[in-house]
Amino acid sequence: MLTLRPEEDEKLRKLLTELNRESKSKIVLLIDKSGQLISRSESPAFSSDDITFASLTAGNVAASEALSKLLGDKNLNHMFTETEEEGIYMILIDGKYILVSIFNKSVSNLGIVRVKIKKYYKKLVDLLRQIESRIEEESSIAEQLNVEDIDLDTLFE
Amino acid sequence: MPFINFATKEINCKIVYYGPGLSGKTTNIKWIYDHIKPENKGEMITLATETERTLFFDFVPIEVSNVKGFKVRFHLYTTPGQIIYQASRKLILKGVDGVVFVADSQEERHDANLDTLDDMLDNLKEYDIDINELPLVFQYNKRDLPNILPVEVLRRDLNRWNRPDFEAVATKGIGVLETFKEITRQVLKKLKK
Ligand SMILES: Nc1nc2c(ncn2[C@@H]2O[C@H](COP(=O)(O)OP(=O)(O)OP(=O)(O)O)[C@@H](O)[C@H]2O)c(=O)[nH]1
Ligand SMILES: [Mg+2]
Repeated sequence: MLTLRPEEDEKLRKLLTELNRESKSKIVLLIDKSGQLISRSESPAFSSDDITFASLTAGNVAASEALSKLLGDKNLNHMFTETEEEGIYMILIDGKYILVSIFNKSVSNLGIVRVKIKKYYKKLVDLLRQIESRIEEESSIAEQLNVEDIDLDTLFE
Repeated sequence: MPFINFATKEINCKIVYYGPGLSGKTTNIKWIYDHIKPENKGEMITLATETERTLFFDFVPIEVSNVKGFKVRFHLYTTPGQIIYQASRKLILKGVDGVVFVADSQEERHDANLDTLDDMLDNLKEYDIDINELPLVFQYNKRDLPNILPVEVLRRDLNRWNRPDFEAVATKGIGVLETFKEITRQVLKKLKK
């Protein structure tokens, strides 16, 4: 199970926000390979549904990884998709996470984005590994959860 | 794998609807999506062929807030049931927290039910997921059709783990909510362990 403590959440968000600013991206997202959005830069202008975006990105990366395996290539490292106005750059982190930068092509470019990701890559990996080892040491989180009184009936109209 | 953020107080879980081609997986989550309050849902994604067969997956994010504690987000996925999409099915199971197996009750589709269940067991094994530990619900769908097998037969052949199971007519929404509630209940219960 992946958990984030408030201070870790803040560190991650800060790191992604810095990366977003320096790379002149619209938004930078950190996603896990099963499609969960873990964190994102503070980018109030980004209006798309980030949860759905995360799920599609993970599907996209999973399919491309399977393709490259099929072709006999060992690992997929990164991929790039573009629309008329935007670039979407995705890079695998530690084989488990996906870092995504969405940028406006008239504001930034793939070169800048890659250089800036390179700059922050180690910091990000270190932070993620710290979080992982904290999770490993932790025993149960059950008592901190309060899910019993969730009422699913209120969901439907 | 659930993802819990203690800063934003969010819990994220992944639920996969698995089953043979045309058994009604997409119909299930579409019905849920159509009947949920707008403030509790995100955007639905459907990656389908022109004939509405699922090509890669469908995706529906659902949010439930409770007063005191956390916001729970269920990510519902369907797999593509057609045999040729075996590789895609495996990708979608990655990180799964609960499975709804949607079986087609029609007699002539029973072999497809059995093959798909085997396929699911193989895929779970490859991810090192123990089915005995996995939240799991069976749904016997298309109970409105004439040539269907008795529930006892479906239960005996498919539900070998004695998990909760439901009869359904997904096109009319019968059994859809019951199935969904049961799988979410199991997933949340497992979180507490
Ligand atoms: N009669 C009847 N038809 C149903 C029922 N549930 C689904 N269907 C129909 O069966 C067809 C297939 O349903 P889908 O939900 O697309 O099936 P699926 O499992 O997603 O199929 P794949 O995406 O190919 O794996 C559609 O035409 C549905 O309207 C049911 O309970 N009764
Ligand atoms: Mg479908």
